[in-house]
Amino acid sequence: MSIIAIVALAIIVMLAGAFYVGRSRAIAAVAGATAGLHSLPNYHGYYVAIWTGLPAFLLLAVYGMFGTPLVDRLTASELRRDAVVLTADFEAELVADTATRDLEEALTMLRARAAAITNSMADLRDASGSDRDPHRLEALGVEQTELVNQIATAEEARLARRNMLRDAVARAAAEDGASLRALAGFELVHAPRERRQLFLSDARRIATDGLASRSSDELDAAAAVMARHDTQMRNLFAGLALALAVAGLIRTRGQVAVAFRARNHVESLVTAMLFLSSVIAILTTVGIVFSLLFESIRFFSTVPLTEFLFGLQWSPQIALRADQVGQSGAFGAVPLFAGTAMITLIAMVVAVPIGLLSAIYLSEYAGPRFRLTAKPILEILAGIPTVVYGFFALLTVGPAIRSFFAMVGIDDVVTQSALSAGLVMGVMIIPFISSLSDDVINSVPQSLRDGSYAMGATKSETIGRVIMPAALPGIVGAVLLAVSRAVGETMIVVMAAGQGANLTANPLESVTTITVQIVMLLTGDQEFDSPKTLSAFALGLVLFVITLLMNVIALRVVQRYREKYD
Amino acid sequence: MTDTPDISPIRSAVSKNLGARYRAELRFRAAGLAAVAAAVGILIVLLSSIVSGGLPAFTVNELELTVDLEREVIDPLGDGSEESLRRGGYSRVLQSAMRAEFPEVQARRDLRNLFSLYTALNATRLMDEVLENPGLIGSRHVFTMPLADDLDLYLKGLLVEDRVLDTDGALSLSVEGDAVTVRSSATDFRDLAGEFARTLRARATLLEVEADTLAERAEGLSGNDAEDMLYDAELNRRRALDIRATLERDAGPLALDASLPSVLVEVDGRAVALTSIAADGATASGRFLLGSEPVDAMSDWTLYVIDTPAERRRVSDQLIVWTRALEARGVISSAFNTYLFANADSREPELAGVKGALFGSILTMIITITISVPIGVFTALYLEEYAPKNRFTALIEVNINNLAAVPSIVFGLLGLAVFINAFGLPRSAPLVGGLVLSLMTLPTVIIATRAALKAVPQSIRQAALAVGASRTQTVFHHVLPLAAPGILTGSIIGLAQAMGETAPLLMIGMVAFIADAPTLGLEGFTQPATVMPVQIFLWSDGAERAFEARTAAAILVLLALMIGFNALAIYLRRRFERRW
Repeated sequence: MSIIAIVALAIIVMLAGAFYVGRSRAIAAVAGATAGLHSLPNYHGYYVAIWTGLPAFLLLAVYGMFGTPLVDRLTASELRRDAVVLTADFEAELVADTATRDLEEALTMLRARAAAITNSMADLRDASGSDRDPHRLEALGVEQTELVNQIATAEEARLARRNMLRDAVARAAAEDGASLRALAGFELVHAPRERRQLFLSDARRIATDGLASRSSDELDAAAAVMARHDTQMRNLFAGLALALAVAGLIRTRGQVAVAFRARNHVESLVTAMLFLSSVIAILTTVGIVFSLLFESIRFFSTVPLTEFLFGLQWSPQIALRADQVGQSGAFGAVPLFAGTAMITLIAMVVAVPIGLLSAIYLSEYAGPRFRLTAKPILEILAGIPTVVYGFFALLTVGPAIRSFFAMVGIDDVVTQSALSAGLVMGVMIIPFISSLSDDVINSVPQSLRDGSYAMGATKSETIGRVIMPAALPGIVGAVLLAVSRAVGETMIVVMAAGQGANLTANPLESVTTITVQIVMLLTGDQEFDSPKTLSAFALGLVLFVITLLMNVIALRVVQRYREKYD
Repeated sequence: MTDTPDISPIRSAVSKNLGARYRAELRFRAAGLAAVAAAVGILIVLLSSIVSGGLPAFTVNELELTVDLEREVIDPLGDGSEESLRRGGYSRVLQSAMRAEFPEVQARRDLRNLFSLYTALNATRLMDEVLENPGLIGSRHVFTMPLADDLDLYLKGLLVEDRVLDTDGALSLSVEGDAVTVRSSATDFRDLAGEFARTLRARATLLEVEADTLAERAEGLSGNDAEDMLYDAELNRRRALDIRATLERDAGPLALDASLPSVLVEVDGRAVALTSIAADGATASGRFLLGSEPVDAMSDWTLYVIDTPAERRRVSDQLIVWTRALEARGVISSAFNTYLFANADSREPELAGVKGALFGSILTMIITITISVPIGVFTALYLEEYAPKNRFTALIEVNINNLAAVPSIVFGLLGLAVFINAFGLPRSAPLVGGLVLSLMTLPTVIIATRAALKAVPQSIRQAALAVGASRTQTVFHHVLPLAAPGILTGSIIGLAQAMGETAPLLMIGMVAFIADAPTLGLEGFTQPATVMPVQIFLWSDGAERAFEARTAAAILVLLALMIGFNALAIYLRRRFERRW
């Protein structure tokens, strides 16, 4: 980074210089009588400084972001070119090798058999009447599992054979005196994806005198290539940035004149910057939608959409490889939807009455002093991190529920249950409902209340028959927003609801939710291309769509209601 | 004279219902108050459960050992170089210090047991101390280390139920081979023997009842299940019979096993675990856990009962005896738990601290602040002060409102797919965490800034424009400074929220076990790290009991930080707030 840092420092110095140059030239242009300038001298200074610094720094930022991947790619492609001969040798060996061919034939056969069994299983499942044969279905299931295992073994064997051949080719080449770079390229090309990453990052560490995970002659050769590209790239970008800065300085310095509208230029740049900032919000949404959609489409190319939306069996851990899913029926998300719905329902049963009643009490009954103390206390509930609620559910509420039900005589209640997660989530949502409904109730015009009191109604009658009907759309909106928050809440359910994908209506059992499964699927070791990982994005898409719909509906409801009284 | 309508029937109808209506009113009011009380009550329960759970973790019981840092042990190459010192046998140093405390412990198994009073990781800490101060080589040095987590809990009274009983008589110990006979001049053991007999009888009855229930249930079933149940029932009956048979053997001694409370007799630096109590209530036999010499008629002795049976606790009688002895000798003392703040995460609860997570949080927050506050303020400025009313502006506004309601975990998915997989930024790094959190806090900052900008009265803008300021000058010279306190408050509240956020950071791999704190510098942003809430999540999953208190303590630290942030926001609002 040293040369880049030097250039960056140089540009900063130039920035200050540019400001001074612009300013003093402007003053000089009118011989000190600055009132004659169109723009204040400072604006001339800003103008020159911006065009000196901005493009150069943007270029450096581009280097910072894409420099490393670019160097990696260049290195990899150069090494690959060096290894062309070796790779060709290896391919030829592979084609000529009888063992590989045998294994491949066996694999094709096994796959065909597995497909046949899957078909007959599907037929059996759809069959009715006398054709139904659960025993045969079970037998086929067993056979299928066995076949899947056999396929796995065969694939492993093929891979092992391939690796053996690869190592043999590499060894032979090394003995023939092939260049280390060719060997490094060969190693790189024929490594699995994540090993390739590791290889490159090790080479980078060696090149920058860091601590690599291992060291070999091949790695050293690769590091030398990488260091060369790295230096070239760095010098290129540093030179370009410096050139840009100088060019900007020279060009804008010449523009400074009495009538030059420096302020307008600077201000339009500022406006453009503000506009670009506000576009980031849109970019974020676009990023969310596209990343979710892109990965989900990849997921749905292996698992049919109907199976995902209506399947009753969720066991992604069983599906180990791509060719197993879609047949084994492991990606049916209904248990997750049911679990999410149940926990949300329990949370609402807790939060809606307490939140609504406290909002009513605080806005209609409580004196100003009570209101001033009680409202912030309720808001503390909203500020507590969800992981704390999760801990509370796990350690206090769960065991309390279990001992309560043990006292009643129901013994097999688990600590991690839908009930404890739902209750605690309800508590978390209370302030959300109470503050939103508080706003809605307060925006009901006083005249409606006065009219009701004038008719002799008591306060509770006024609330029940006048205020509530008037505030209902807003409250419905608030509840919808709360539901969407409950659906998307993660930590409480991860910690307190358990992980079993049970399709059950019993709140005392452990259930799982969409968010829990996303966390389960994406934490720990993950290979990015497996359907298991991709399914998390499909779940994320579902979550995003659900919450988006609820928010849109809620905002519509609230807005329509507001128009009525304003 | 006009006709006044006769209102008496209406009046009477109204007054007839009035009582019921007022009662309904009261009921409704009470329900409202109850709801507020419930919410406040839950908050109190929540906070008090965490405070009471977390407070024990702020103290720690420490072993203060005088270790002999002999040169030939810790400096095997003999040149005092770092390389040589790193090869030193520091665990041997610690072990010999422990053996000096209990010279009678000789058997291999007992020694291993003795060394489990502390975790072996302390050897590395000793090495670090020596590396930092090579002058210690060859000297006798007082080394402080935390007691093993379970024993720490024991000393805090959180691990077992125990009690000390009153004694009347004078105690004699006589030794015959391995066994010790304990004799008191009074019937000091009678109550205990009676209590244990009652416990055993109750256990036998329970087994019989269970057996009957099993047998009954088995009748309704057939096949293997029924057979299994009947077998279990038979087993239970037999065990009940066994217990009763032992109890029936009147006059014989009552044997104590691992399913009964442990009874320890401590006298004059010795400790005996009782294995049986004789029927006379004054004599018992046992084995030495500490010391081996007989004692004659000492009246100063302790009868210590650990009610949690040995089979249901994680520490043995032996370890407890050693711990108590060390405490009595003043080797163990309780102190403020500095390990909690000075250390990063560790597999051993007694050495685990929040430093790594705290540093990770700081680094993550720095990124979040530097990205979300400028961009959020700029966006709000654009929307509030510049944007023309058109469809694109409306789109941006709708977008921001929706982003505010997107579940946080979705931002995590975005971070994983875009920042890590597409841009190739490092996993688990505060840089990516900060980026994700800043996208998440952006709507909060924007909404708060817009509210602050809206609160600046129009007249300020008009005055500035009237004296010839351009729009940009108006905004940056007049509106923004006046809105700054509100913006600051909103941003701080948004950042406090971000600091408590967990879920999106799990997605980008900040959930790994990281034993080194990231450096608080430029390179720290790309080092693997974790943050406070994630540390809480990780510890809440910890297998050791001691992690429970650590989790609550970490929560207290996090809450203190968040309360600090919010208090700062409230102070700034009070200090600079202007009403127009």
